[in-house]
Amino acid sequence: MTDTIKTTGGLSRRSLIKSLGAAGALGLAGPNFIRSAYAADPIRVGVISPLTGAWTVYGKAHLAGMEMAIEEINAAGGVNGRPFELVVADSKTEPRIVVEQANRLIRHERVDFLAGTFSSAERNAAGPVVAAADKVLLYPTFYEGQQQKYYPGVCNKNMFMFGPVPSQQVWPHLEYMVKNFGKKFFMIGSDYAWPRVTNEVTKPKLRELGGEVVGEVYIPFNTPQYESVLRDIRNSGADVIFHSLTGSDTVNFRKQLAAAGMNKDFTLWTVDDEEVVTSGLGPEVSAGTYVSFDYFMSINKPSNATFLEKFRAHAGDDALMDTVGVAMYNAGHMAAMALRKSGEVSTAALRKGLKGLTFEDAPQGPVTMRELDNQAVLPSYLMRVRENWTSVNDMFEEVQMFESVEPQDAACSNLPLEA
Amino acid sequence: MSHANSTIKRRPRAAHFGGENAAAFALLALLVVAPFVAGDYIAYILPQYMLYGLLAVSLVMLWGVVGIVSFGQAAFFAIGAYAMGLCMGQSDLGFNSGYAGLASGALAGGLLAGVTGWFLFSAGVKATYFVLITLALSIITEQVAVSQSQLTGGFNGMFVNRMALSPFEGGAIAGDIALYFFVLGVVAVVYALLRWLMASSFGTVLAGVRENEDRLTALGYRIDQYKTLAFALSGAIAGLAGALYATTASFVSPSLAGVLFSTQVVVWVAIGGRSSLLGGLVGAMVVATASNYLSATMPQYWQLILGVAFMLVIIFFKDGFAGMFARLGQRLRPREVS
Amino acid sequence: MLNSLLSIAVDLTLITLVLALAAFGLAIVYGLVGVINMGHGALLTLGAYLTWQATAWQIPFPLAVLFAACGVCVIGLIFEHLVIRHFYERPFDTLLLTWAFFMIVTEVIKIVFGTDLRTVSNPLPGAIDLGGVRVPVYRATVALIAVGVIGATAWLFYRTSLGIRIRGLIQNREVAGLLGLNISLTYKIVFGIGAFMAGLAGGLISPMLSIDPYIGNVYLVRSFFVVLVGGMGQLLSGTLIGSFFTGGSETLFALFSSQAVAQTAVFALAILILRFRPNGILKNK
Repeated sequence: MTDTIKTTGGLSRRSLIKSLGAAGALGLAGPNFIRSAYAADPIRVGVISPLTGAWTVYGKAHLAGMEMAIEEINAAGGVNGRPFELVVADSKTEPRIVVEQANRLIRHERVDFLAGTFSSAERNAAGPVVAAADKVLLYPTFYEGQQQKYYPGVCNKNMFMFGPVPSQQVWPHLEYMVKNFGKKFFMIGSDYAWPRVTNEVTKPKLRELGGEVVGEVYIPFNTPQYESVLRDIRNSGADVIFHSLTGSDTVNFRKQLAAAGMNKDFTLWTVDDEEVVTSGLGPEVSAGTYVSFDYFMSINKPSNATFLEKFRAHAGDDALMDTVGVAMYNAGHMAAMALRKSGEVSTAALRKGLKGLTFEDAPQGPVTMRELDNQAVLPSYLMRVRENWTSVNDMFEEVQMFESVEPQDAACSNLPLEA
Repeated sequence: MSHANSTIKRRPRAAHFGGENAAAFALLALLVVAPFVAGDYIAYILPQYMLYGLLAVSLVMLWGVVGIVSFGQAAFFAIGAYAMGLCMGQSDLGFNSGYAGLASGALAGGLLAGVTGWFLFSAGVKATYFVLITLALSIITEQVAVSQSQLTGGFNGMFVNRMALSPFEGGAIAGDIALYFFVLGVVAVVYALLRWLMASSFGTVLAGVRENEDRLTALGYRIDQYKTLAFALSGAIAGLAGALYATTASFVSPSLAGVLFSTQVVVWVAIGGRSSLLGGLVGAMVVATASNYLSATMPQYWQLILGVAFMLVIIFFKDGFAGMFARLGQRLRPREVS
Repeated sequence: MLNSLLSIAVDLTLITLVLALAAFGLAIVYGLVGVINMGHGALLTLGAYLTWQATAWQIPFPLAVLFAACGVCVIGLIFEHLVIRHFYERPFDTLLLTWAFFMIVTEVIKIVFGTDLRTVSNPLPGAIDLGGVRVPVYRATVALIAVGVIGATAWLFYRTSLGIRIRGLIQNREVAGLLGLNISLTYKIVFGIGAFMAGLAGGLISPMLSIDPYIGNVYLVRSFFVVLVGGMGQLLSGTLIGSFFTGGSETLFALFSSQAVAQTAVFALAILILRFRPNGILKNK
């Protein structure tokens, strides 16, 4: 009696574990087998967006830009009869997860190319993956520019940059700011590469114009209190606060700057706070400050009006678009144009097609992908935040703009990047 | 000594996990065939999850055996990962820099844990304080990784090449499958060694620390030394896992040390089963796999489900899924006559 | 020189008091019922979101904060009633349970309120001049409220007969049980007050910060250090000294080094204090 129970018991436990394991393996394998049956038909686009985690606020516009581009491409008959198909992955704002998801998209979902990632850290995490798998990554965010030491996160023939670098976003407007508001700059940024490099390359330009940096602070992420920084700024005698804080810190700092009544005494120029963050700040805090980017919802151009109309139909009347979302939109369209041009779908064809390609109907004005270093040639706008704005429609007024600003050449040793 | 052992050994839990060997072999068999039947993405990603599993194991040996919870295991993991990155960055070491990275990763993790442990345990810091201090340790590590950018690449992270698996120069074996079995081998060996160690007299004393600290002190054991050793060992395992992770994933960034990742390890172990090394290992692998596949389809709800599962496990199933399976096994098996 | 010293002193006072307010709910719950509430950060966040929601409904700011504090109190009490009250005997499990609570509340906040940045406009804009030092009116008001709230609560616990009974009960449960005091109700009251304070702090801090689902996290670890450095059960003096140590020394360090170094140094220093004064900076052993 005891014996029989023992045998069956032992067996059933072991077979239970085994069958559970086998089921698990099949469950993982399943989608792979099924997918490959019809994978030949659509062109699969893998998008990695920050849908959860610290930078979720930017994720919506980020993803919406690509969704819209794909809708439009497919409405126009796709690429040589093949529609684009979107495969979304969540980066969780974690480089660790980007590595995992970029590989999932390439190896498991068999995407033809990738678009997205948000911060430079995320892009760098994807670098080795796209280099090893020979897939193209279309990167949408404003960033510090390419330096050889971050290869393969930059200076990588498979990466195409659709967002502005400091030489496009900051330099064109220095003269205006110095002339109108004064020569003394106080630089405050988050403590990582983008703010540090932006300030580093901006300082010589500022000096050329007779300006000087009277203070420079870098703030660790998630700092709630700014008393000592505000005191330093007040004592520095600065005219302009040049601001590259990001995430929740930018809002925390600017709310406390406004609460201290310092908004009137200093001109604030931010290179971070696009539509999403400025909405988060509200009119009292943001009024009268300056922002520079390649794209704003307030740009007064027919191409932007058409784009916004489609965007509102896609995402609703109150939805926010920004430079990153538009870069994703441009990236989607330009990828389709490049593949159409070369007539085949492959990494080499996409790279070759993107080189030197111009997208005339980009919402912000013509955008060209430079052959030399895969960096987009973009317009650059300086905007002032209106007093008492009520929504993104009347948030910014245009101060000045430059068409087709050429970026400084990337600091890569392998230029021109091969096609 | 023998008297102490015999009194301590009579703990009820030991019997529960008699089935762990069978389960471990089944898992090993499954992992050996997985890369051949489940496609190349599985072959690529499972090693990373196995290393999360090893990180979880490093917590189980603290939590399940000694009864100490650390919220800072990710700090050791990250330090191991950076150690590997720095070693792989040195091309002229004259010997295989990958193995140097593994060794220094384990050493760095073990050293940091050992120093922290000695510092805290010698003062008899309370278990709850220990949790908070280890949490702070992971924040400090993340902060240092961000600010020491000339060494670590800062927030933008650091690239790490795949290590050459052959210990001799030139004979590079570096494919996904090769790395897969290398990682599987390391995880299996560390797991087996830990199982053996926990069954040894050292492990018995550690279990005694959890069960009855006062009695062991009365018997003349230096509890703080045992705790420090256990913590250092745990840190070394986490560091080793981190070093191997770095070369598998090819990229390291400060968030590896962050609070989110640190507490994630606690959740894995709680769900998998805090009293079973295998439970922690499987818990990490299953939760990470599920997270990978489900977070794309329901990014908002996945974390919530995980949170609820974590709470339910703490309230109702102290030993997690491993405990549930063990109890199931007990019920199917006849009562042992003692 | 004198001016800048004065301005540093003002900064230190403001930072200390705001941090003390943020940590106070934690101090109450830990000091009186011995639960390290890892969910404290999520309660702060919830307080901020409820305040935002109420102001969006056009409720005046002071009432909005009160609404938020009550709302958070109710959520805290539900959690206490369903889960925590069964675990008072196992402080370590309460730590894990409150961490699970933290995860759940944070995720529910994301689902209910979305992930857009929210903002509560500053109810008292402007700054007053204090002998050449300009002090933001709202921040100063919050600091004064912090003093009032902490003082009043300490008075409640140390000077009123109810408070003395509560403390007596917590210090000696057997005697309290013999005297017929309702232990579980008392614990519930204390936990509720702690949650109320967290909601109040979250609401009062909300106009100064960006409201996102992680707003409470920036205060979470700092709050723990406030409580641990200040010492268990030292409601008034402990919280203030702990806050001064944690927030103030960060400001002082930042005068001489970078912000990153300052934050790291404070954490490291807090660990040193916990090691050598495990019962807080005020008590020897």
